[in-house]
Amino acid sequence: MKLGGPREPKELRPRVFALGSVFLFGVLVLSVNLYRLMVVRFEEFTALSIDNQFKDVRVRAPRGLIRDRHGEVLVDARPSLDVFITPAFCLKCQAEVIPRLATLLGWDDDQRQKVEQQVKDTRGPQRYQQLVVAVDLPRDAFDLLNAHQMQLPGVDLEAVPHREYRAGSALAHVVGYMNEITVDELTKFNSSQEDRPPYAMGDYIGRKGVERAFEQVLRGTDGWVKEVVNARGEIMRDLKGEVLKRDEVLPRPGNNLVLSIDSRLQAEAERVFPGTAGAIVVMESKTGFILAMVSRPSFDPNEMTGRVSSQRLAALSKDPLQPLIFRAAAEHYHPGSTFKVVSMLAGLRSGAFTPQTTVNCTGGYQLGARRWRCDNERGHGPLQAHAALAFSCDTYFYRLADVIGIDPIARAARELGFGAPTNFGVAAEVPGVIPDSAYHDKNTPGGYTKGMALNASIGQGDVNVTPLQLAVVYSAIGNGGDVMQPQVVQRIETPDGALVEAMAPRLTRHVEITPEQHETLIGGLKGVVNEAGGTGFRARLPDITVAGKTGTAQVARLGQIRVKAADMNYWERDHAWFASFAPAEDPEVTVVVLNEHSGFGGASSAPAAGAILKRYFELKKADAQGTAPPLPSPIASSAPVPKAAESTKVLPDVVPPREPVEARDASVPGPGDPLVPPHEDLEAPR
Amino acid sequence: MMELRTQRRTMANVPWGLVAVVLMISAVGIYNLASASRPPASPVWLPQLAYLGLGVATVVGIAFVDYRFVQSATIPIYLVNIAMLLALKVVGHKAKGAESWFVLGPLRLQPAEFMKLGMVLMMAKYFHDDERPNNEGYGFFRLVPPVLISMIPTALVLVQPDLGTALMMTFTAVTIILFAKPKWTVLVIMGVLALGSVGVLWNDYVRVQPEPRMTIIRHKLKKHQDARITGWLDPTSDLRGSNYHSMQSKIAVGSGGPTGKGWMQGTQTGLRFLPEQHTDFIFSVFAEEQGFVKCLFLLLLYAGFIITSLSIAASAKDRFGAFVVVGITAMVFWQVFENIGMVTGLLPITGITLPLMSYGGSSMLSVMIGVGLLVNVAMRRQGFRP
Repeated sequence: MKLGGPREPKELRPRVFALGSVFLFGVLVLSVNLYRLMVVRFEEFTALSIDNQFKDVRVRAPRGLIRDRHGEVLVDARPSLDVFITPAFCLKCQAEVIPRLATLLGWDDDQRQKVEQQVKDTRGPQRYQQLVVAVDLPRDAFDLLNAHQMQLPGVDLEAVPHREYRAGSALAHVVGYMNEITVDELTKFNSSQEDRPPYAMGDYIGRKGVERAFEQVLRGTDGWVKEVVNARGEIMRDLKGEVLKRDEVLPRPGNNLVLSIDSRLQAEAERVFPGTAGAIVVMESKTGFILAMVSRPSFDPNEMTGRVSSQRLAALSKDPLQPLIFRAAAEHYHPGSTFKVVSMLAGLRSGAFTPQTTVNCTGGYQLGARRWRCDNERGHGPLQAHAALAFSCDTYFYRLADVIGIDPIARAARELGFGAPTNFGVAAEVPGVIPDSAYHDKNTPGGYTKGMALNASIGQGDVNVTPLQLAVVYSAIGNGGDVMQPQVVQRIETPDGALVEAMAPRLTRHVEITPEQHETLIGGLKGVVNEAGGTGFRARLPDITVAGKTGTAQVARLGQIRVKAADMNYWERDHAWFASFAPAEDPEVTVVVLNEHSGFGGASSAPAAGAILKRYFELKKADAQGTAPPLPSPIASSAPVPKAAESTKVLPDVVPPREPVEARDASVPGPGDPLVPPHEDLEAPR
Repeated sequence: MMELRTQRRTMANVPWGLVAVVLMISAVGIYNLASASRPPASPVWLPQLAYLGLGVATVVGIAFVDYRFVQSATIPIYLVNIAMLLALKVVGHKAKGAESWFVLGPLRLQPAEFMKLGMVLMMAKYFHDDERPNNEGYGFFRLVPPVLISMIPTALVLVQPDLGTALMMTFTAVTIILFAKPKWTVLVIMGVLALGSVGVLWNDYVRVQPEPRMTIIRHKLKKHQDARITGWLDPTSDLRGSNYHSMQSKIAVGSGGPTGKGWMQGTQTGLRFLPEQHTDFIFSVFAEEQGFVKCLFLLLLYAGFIITSLSIAASAKDRFGAFVVVGITAMVFWQVFENIGMVTGLLPITGITLPLMSYGGSSMLSVMIGVGLLVNVAMRRQGFRP
């Protein structure tokens, strides 16, 4: 070794050996760890890697259709052209894509900021899910976006099936609508054990009416498929472009519903409805199946189904006319004179009254210190049961109530179906109120007095009924005592049209009505429509005998000076009723019309009922002959003419004590006592 | 005549074992890259092949320049590397939140990769020049220069920020210092420091303590770094978030099983569940498709690299050569250890490539320069008599 030259660093050799041992030990550690992962835990990780590749994809089942009794489609699905953003694939989303989208779709700043915030708020795996940013694009906007697809990464355009209510606001309360399921409902409907729960976030669920009541029938069962996806959630395809999938479970479409509604009759009922608010119920008298149902004002279920803004919803619920309330069943009213058949039946049953019992009407009835006024101030003179009904004489019923008291009337009313829900099933119902002495003892200060029976006998006081109940009661009177449960769904069918279930008519109970009682009641109701001086003459048909009864439900306590109805505040005008069935001898169809605050007695409701009955028999005839039904005739009396309502009567001097009423309808000033008896016969020719 | 003899002797000293191991790992790497970058990804194994060619040329080029020339140029090399890191701050290209690239036309250079070598050379030069045969142990004062030599570039890399490379540099530097045989007092201090950092980790991440937590360094870390440490200490803490990559990588490796799913058959790979699957997570691809047996074989190749290169250190003719070899071996070892450790969930995830397997020109080139230096030292070793 040369001096001064580099010295061989022999002293390093042991250290090199030590270092090498440390490094090799490190490699050994790695090997052991690999063995642990790849050999010991191999199966665990294999399972995880399979989970990774296959994504359980839900295939939504098509929802069942809803048809009317003749097969006409009332509710189905239409394609809604929707725009989605998948944040993970939306490059330069905030800077370019959303502003571009906003320009193409003409969004205002608010809308754009809302979408920007929505996209910004997504986190983690959420970023791979589609966000709905616009629905129901017009075709040309959709085409425009399609043309600019290249400039809109992460934006998807899809035609999504969307529930369509073809009849619009007609039948809205009966058919209902749908909207997105809430978190609470998800936990309620999905049991935690289920691997594939029936409902998923973002699903729509039936909200009202048939959609809600028959949700499980209409819904069907969603299908599932395992699709191969990559880490970005993108679905993988094979060389032919087919989606790679396995374990496919096909969706089972929901069953279809056939309603008992006849949409032609429904259209007629919608057309002839005379006023602003109210209800029409058209029912088969013997089976309880609903043929048509109107509740006005209504709403558009197409709008309510996922297309309603919160402002619009607030406006709807603040609307004083309350369009969301189903007036046919979820609202009750004084029945007015339509209730007199019930009082009459109670009187006949009591034995104290016979069809020949005569009451002399002198224009009022004296009970104690107070005089209850009849509608006809001059008095009807002496009359018997038939005329009392036909001319709607209040005095007769005051006398009747004075004799038998309130309890027999209440008993008959409850038996016939008042005072309890009809079990319609499709919509929420109020039970109505049928007061008896126990009710008044409990609820009225001072307890029950005879005066309350007098008020109840003419359908005022605390008597409250729903239009649907009235239809059930009139059907029962017409058909001889069968109280039917109203139904609107006639059949459940598979998507192919095979019958799953046909609903049978359901008898709630049979009420004992003797032939004599029946004849008296029907006779009186026939007289209302068909006799000179009958209050319901406007519902008369040329070849069919209609039986019916008008009614005017007083809403407001009147002031000291009688005012013309036309000059009265809308909310203080009376409700006009007409309840009818035809043919009188063997009734097929029952029609109840309620026109809220029409203020003109039976002037508007009776013609509407007449038009519906006329249409029913026209359609029946045409269906039997296999010919097309004639076009509906022009509306008999479209708008009530104010001059016909010269209801300038003198107010009574005596004001009976106000009786308590159920406070439910805030918009209506609250039904008062019948200070002035109903004046529905003003229009009747004498 | 003398020169010719030298030439012949040096040729005979070429470490063929090392060369064979390096070429085998590179070949496995390219075979594996072809699978990791299968369509629709761009086939990066082709450029990698070009980088390998360039790397081999570099090895040959460096082998024929006597490393004593390199030794004389160490200070400029070191300074140029430092200057490059500083220049990055001005003209660097930002990628994934870090300024670590120079873009020169189609080439992207990562100066930190070369800084590692510069640091190793500079430290080797210090320990060569500072040799005192009669006073072998290194005390604190004699260790100040090497600590500075390693800390300055490490700090520059750390602020890029490139925590992974900075960690690798620290480990390499510590290994070299330990190899220089410090005094026992220094060892005790280093042990205390190591225990201290474990203590900090325990205090900041493991210990259950009431909110607000009293943390020592945790609040100073960047959010993603913090999440990585959390994820490493508790793999189930955030499976869909920051710990997603670690879990997916473990799934890939574990589901490979003893025999693997087959080349180009990896589902984690094919469906792109692996992040950075052709660079940092290349080993997951290999493990998933080739299985445990071939993984063991790959680890044996790396062990072969360590053995052949350290045997060069043992027979190096001077301290500079020995320290360079130890430094380069340490650099490669720590990268292999951290990379495979992180893809198997043993260590926290840091952006570290697997030498000779990961795709990347800078990585390939820096390793090949190192290999060139190894070959160079080997060729000029003494005591070999044909």
